[in-house]
Amino acid sequence: MIQSLLIANRGEIAVRIIRTCREMGIRTVLAHSQPDTDSLPVRMADEHVCIGPAPARESYLNIRNLVTAGVLSGCDALHPGVGFLAENAGFARDVGEAGLIFVGPDPEVIELLGDKIRAKHSAKDMGIPVIAGSTGSVENARDALAAAESIGYPVIVKAAAGGGGKGMRIVRTSAELGDVLVIASQEAEKAFSDGTVYLEKYLENPRHVEIQIVADRKGGIVHLGERDCTVQQNHQKLIEESPSPVVTPELRARMGDDAVRLLRRLGYTGAGTVEFLVMDGKHYFMEVNARVQVEHPVSEMVTGVDIIRQQLLAASDEALEIRQDEVRLGAYAVECRINARSAGRVTRFDVPGGYGVRMDTFLYAGYHVPPWYDHLVAKLIVTGRTRAEGLRRMQRALSELVIEGIATNIESQQKIVAHPVFQSGKYGTGFLGEVMKEGSL
Amino acid sequence: MELKELYALMERFEKSGLSEIMFKKDGEEVCLKKAAPAPVFAPPPPAAAYPPAHQGHDAHASDAPVKHGADTEFIRAPLVGTFYRAPAPDAPPFVEKGDTVKRGKPLCILEAMKLMNEYQAEFDMEVVAVLADNGNMVEFGAPLFEVRRV
Repeated sequence: MIQSLLIANRGEIAVRIIRTCREMGIRTVLAHSQPDTDSLPVRMADEHVCIGPAPARESYLNIRNLVTAGVLSGCDALHPGVGFLAENAGFARDVGEAGLIFVGPDPEVIELLGDKIRAKHSAKDMGIPVIAGSTGSVENARDALAAAESIGYPVIVKAAAGGGGKGMRIVRTSAELGDVLVIASQEAEKAFSDGTVYLEKYLENPRHVEIQIVADRKGGIVHLGERDCTVQQNHQKLIEESPSPVVTPELRARMGDDAVRLLRRLGYTGAGTVEFLVMDGKHYFMEVNARVQVEHPVSEMVTGVDIIRQQLLAASDEALEIRQDEVRLGAYAVECRINARSAGRVTRFDVPGGYGVRMDTFLYAGYHVPPWYDHLVAKLIVTGRTRAEGLRRMQRALSELVIEGIATNIESQQKIVAHPVFQSGKYGTGFLGEVMKEGSL
Repeated sequence: MELKELYALMERFEKSGLSEIMFKKDGEEVCLKKAAPAPVFAPPPPAAAYPPAHQGHDAHASDAPVKHGADTEFIRAPLVGTFYRAPAPDAPPFVEKGDTVKRGKPLCILEAMKLMNEYQAEFDMEVVAVLADNGNMVEFGAPLFEVRRV
């Protein structure tokens, strides 16, 4: 069993990991940057090591200092948390070579999953549904027309080298395709010095639904149901819930089975998430997040399984504490991410409580929120017997939450939760964008 | 030990900042020593150029009292590593309290990921205090020496 763990992260996920370690009797050493010296996880950890100045690339991304800190402080394992180096195969390799256990999948698995095209091919090879698309780049209008015909309209033209929406165009009829192809290719050429484009089926307003997996090295692998993360702003998740209002028991079984099969085949270890888009009762593989995710508490509250604990057991070559037939998905849980909209000193902090309420945060009154890192400062999670009960409880809990001294998105979250479309459960990833346009948030 | 292994070791040792190395493997033992003081093998990062840790929250690495005179300044650890005051276990320390050190002269070694990084004086200085303990881990920004410019 892991005796001593270096935590190479900060904020609420560091607090989250320390809490489980304390329950398991694992000594914690927190690696932190200079401005984080006053942070809550530094106070909570058994020991702490400063690993660099404020900029993340010199501290939380400084592989040499992190590995050295782990070795010299007598740790036998390292937890990367979320973000920063959590999905960096080179880091996982260096940690292993220094003689420490990396709490996560093997470097080769991280590497494969980091390549979105290879990951998609792996899924497709196993018969897992993926979003239909041209097999390679489309060179001319004739190829494109043929590809679009077989995929079915609407299609989306994407730049192979793409990102940030550049070179991306939605095409609804064959008449538009020729012109759009030229424009998209030119845009891609300008943005990425590569005019290569390909086609994919365009899913209009889909749901973002992901399956939580935990796996050990003894062949144990279970899924803990789904999380619906459809409420997003610029691809940033804001509210996550489980179960999803659109996932039927049959769809859940299919998605769960696909996710388990894929990660078992890849020899995956630890906590991971398989992301799907869901549309008209069908699911399409998107990608795998090879780490624990920010929204993991939602699944913990639904299933009663401590995911960080299972991660640490798996990394220690121990067996998971739960089998698939023991997983119960009885309750409903929902999480609101509380984001800072400004840095500064927190002058007042009232934490909601009461039945069915969980708050994961690293804030305290008097804490100075530094401007250098992620804006997530708290996660408010509530449970209920039904979605309606859970959402009423979330409204109640949000009304108790007071953070003064910094600007936050609490009010905006209150409006989203109260919004009739959100309450109805019938919406897609475009929902928040539409609501924003109305100007009511 | 293979002869080529020995050559490889000699070559690495020659380039290193160490003046002495003891290597044991499979019951065999090799000891290499340099006659002259070790040459510097890597340009050290500008230790003094790093900003001080939070005011009032000096790094926790050293429990040594850190009194900061008006005319003195700290040389801080530019990386996380093991602090060595001397080039070899039985060698005298590079510097002692009260020493005057010329710019470019070695102050200490920080070992990180099996690499010995030698740090030199950035300017002419008098060593007012040695603040880190030999052989112990120092964290980033930990005060190693209190010095006065001369």
